[in-house]
Amino acid sequence: MKLFKTTKKERMKIYQYQYIILGLLLFTAASCSKSLDVVPKNKIPGDAVLSDPNGITAFVANLYYQAPIEDFVYFPREGFNARGNTGSLSLSQYGLEAIHSEWGNWNQFKNEWWVKGYKLNRNINILAESLPGLSMAESEKKALMGEASFLRAYTYFALAKRYGGVPIIPKNQEYTTEFESLSVPRSTEKETWDFILAECDKAIEMLPETRSSASATKRRATKWAAYALKSRAALHAASIAKFWNLVPLSGPAATQKLVGIDASEANRYYEQAIKASEAIMNSGAYSLYKPTPANPQEAAKNYQDMFMDPNIAASEVIFLKGYGQAGGALAHDYDGWNNPNQTGEGFPYRGRTNPIMELVDLYETYDKPGEITPLATTTAGGATPNEGYNPSANYLHFDSPEQIFQGRDARFFATIIYPNATWKGTKIVIQGGIVKPDGSLIDSRASFDFNGVKYFTYGKEFAEQYSGYDGSANMTRTGFLMRKFLKESAHISSFNQSTTDFMDMRYAEILLNYAEAVVESNYTQGNTNAAKAINDIRRRAGHTVDVPLNLQNVLRERTVELAFENQNFWDMIRRRTFHTAFNNKLKTALVPMIDLREASPKYIFVRKNVPGTNPQTFPEKSYYFPIPGTNNNGLVQNPQY
Amino acid sequence: MKKSHIYLATFFSILLMAGCELEKIDNYDGPNASIYGGIYDIETNELIQQDIIRGTQIEYIENHYENPETQYLVVKNDGTFRNNMMFANTYTIRPVRGNFVEVQKMGIEVKGETKVDFKVLPYIRIKNAKIEKVGNKIVATFNLQQNVPNNVKKIGLFAHQEPNVGEPLKVVSSQVDLKMVTFESTIYTLQINLDENKNNLVPGKQYYFRIGALIDAPEAKFNYVPAIRITL
Repeated sequence: MKLFKTTKKERMKIYQYQYIILGLLLFTAASCSKSLDVVPKNKIPGDAVLSDPNGITAFVANLYYQAPIEDFVYFPREGFNARGNTGSLSLSQYGLEAIHSEWGNWNQFKNEWWVKGYKLNRNINILAESLPGLSMAESEKKALMGEASFLRAYTYFALAKRYGGVPIIPKNQEYTTEFESLSVPRSTEKETWDFILAECDKAIEMLPETRSSASATKRRATKWAAYALKSRAALHAASIAKFWNLVPLSGPAATQKLVGIDASEANRYYEQAIKASEAIMNSGAYSLYKPTPANPQEAAKNYQDMFMDPNIAASEVIFLKGYGQAGGALAHDYDGWNNPNQTGEGFPYRGRTNPIMELVDLYETYDKPGEITPLATTTAGGATPNEGYNPSANYLHFDSPEQIFQGRDARFFATIIYPNATWKGTKIVIQGGIVKPDGSLIDSRASFDFNGVKYFTYGKEFAEQYSGYDGSANMTRTGFLMRKFLKESAHISSFNQSTTDFMDMRYAEILLNYAEAVVESNYTQGNTNAAKAINDIRRRAGHTVDVPLNLQNVLRERTVELAFENQNFWDMIRRRTFHTAFNNKLKTALVPMIDLREASPKYIFVRKNVPGTNPQTFPEKSYYFPIPGTNNNGLVQNPQY
Repeated sequence: MKKSHIYLATFFSILLMAGCELEKIDNYDGPNASIYGGIYDIETNELIQQDIIRGTQIEYIENHYENPETQYLVVKNDGTFRNNMMFANTYTIRPVRGNFVEVQKMGIEVKGETKVDFKVLPYIRIKNAKIEKVGNKIVATFNLQQNVPNNVKKIGLFAHQEPNVGEPLKVVSSQVDLKMVTFESTIYTLQINLDENKNNLVPGKQYYFRIGALIDAPEAKFNYVPAIRITL
């Protein structure tokens, strides 16, 4: 008996199904073949990069690009490698060196180095872990390991000075879904600094003293660059230990020592700063650029030249960040943003960095070596109250505005553009008022006829003829503009045209680190060398009389010599002076005015709080940045965030 | 013509918003409780004067969460505080970095309107405070009663056009570094010369003056007496 009897039609249907199933099976079988896994022709696979010497060079170049160097493209509110419409709101405008011509922003940061720092850390670990398997000379491998340690120290230095103690991850973690096993707790601040200094030591041991070309020697890490980094980092750590008690913070991060270092550690760190600096000073490899100028004018020219093109000062440069490719992604805009309004040359923004009186007053006069002599604007002299124009004050009279600056330190003339300075062949006009014969003041846009001559509030009639005080963003509102780093021969009319290189570490800084560490740690054996260090720097600036070694001389010299090199901000952080300097702080300006009260017109200068600013008070918690994402990464947050 | 465009645009925006369910702003309940109170002197029961900028804060942590973030309340100048955007829950709370002897954390339950007062021992009590205009000067006289053995770091008389005047908010001040232990019998005098400060203290206008004293202790803040308004 047949249970299932099939007709011919039904059998046909079954065959059809069988064909379809067979076809599907064939398809799925074919889908498992690797014939579709094509290697892309327009990209280089990761393992190929790290197994080829040229690939390694490219990879390392990228690590230097990512390194947290605070240079022409670092803006605290925009982060590292920031180009485009940054406003040129630089770190120097956050401290006591300058103010922005338009914005009152300060103490405002893009808190990005946490993420970027650990990304760079991962890349450095990838490099370090792939080196042993490479086929290249052992000496080359060793140098690359040294570079990895240098970059790692640099990366963690940038983390530690912002966040205090941080998680240390010197080996790459393998991805796993067991997230708990990947989380690394914060090390103490002391352990973090010790790790940084130990990485510097490794770099010092492995790095070469020089490289194949002068350019590579300056742009890639050398033994001396590692010493310089150690000198800077050890001084920072020492200062935190010494000055922590000026502004102690409380909370879990403080009790677990994730922020703060015991005062007893200070001298150990100072000693490391001294030893690292001494290694460079005794190496014979470095010296100040043009150390004995014949006169202050020559000193000013030398100093200015060195920042317009650091490549001429090979003996001074220890580590350089290079720029190039005008118009492309590796150029910057420091010239454009900061040129005086009169020499704008078509760049849409100008005159952003405005140096303030707090810096200007620090430049010594040659006749009073070692003294801080504030610019005298009245017969009473000294830093008179910043009250603005007062008809009954006895202002000093000058035939020409630049006379008030006569006899100042050469570095003032090389760092700052002042009223009636010559820049690119143009006299820079900066004026903020007219005092009428009756003693009343005009300080808004106007003109005034006197003895047949027409006088204008801002010195000239039209905006392109002057550079200050009319209230627009292209004009200085402090009486001063930036000169250091700007190229006098350049013509900048569009974005990304500047290719001036940036000296990240130079010999003068090492001398200053040394002198500060010697004074702060009472290392009396170093007194002679430390006094020589600061007087060598002063001699290079045209001074002929030596000053004694003391803290005031060292700190003034440091502020003046390293002005606008993004050091002063961190000096105030590590020395814990920010909250006292910025306590209801209004920055101050110098307003040149034409005084028509006497028969022949004279210039007077009025000290005044920078117009359009509000008092600034630094909150103590800002000595550390907040750690991002603590509710996910489970780390202990810094105090008061 | 133009009007019809606007109508059309509005109509489509409403459609779009409705489509994306944007009329529902959030699917969680909003804050439903508030907390208020003051920081009082444990002995005299008076409110303890504070600063707003860089002043005393109240730290609180909402319980029953993993990795809770510490939150902060700013205390007003008169020593009171209020936050109307709280969630009903239990909290661990403590006023910190103040001008009083450190206090322990406490657990509280916030529900509806919750009043929380803190009783603390101020570092310094400023007694018999008097601020007067004498001729062309503002003269402040006072005694200090310190409740801890530390040095008194400095004393000051602060002036500003706002009643929130204090060390972090001032146009003119007269400050003296004491750096010593004080005795209650000593009368301290601070002066502000009005002639020398004409630009900042304009004659004919009203200003607030406040006396402050700072103890030498980590993270300590100034102790004050209430500000006094004087027409110059």
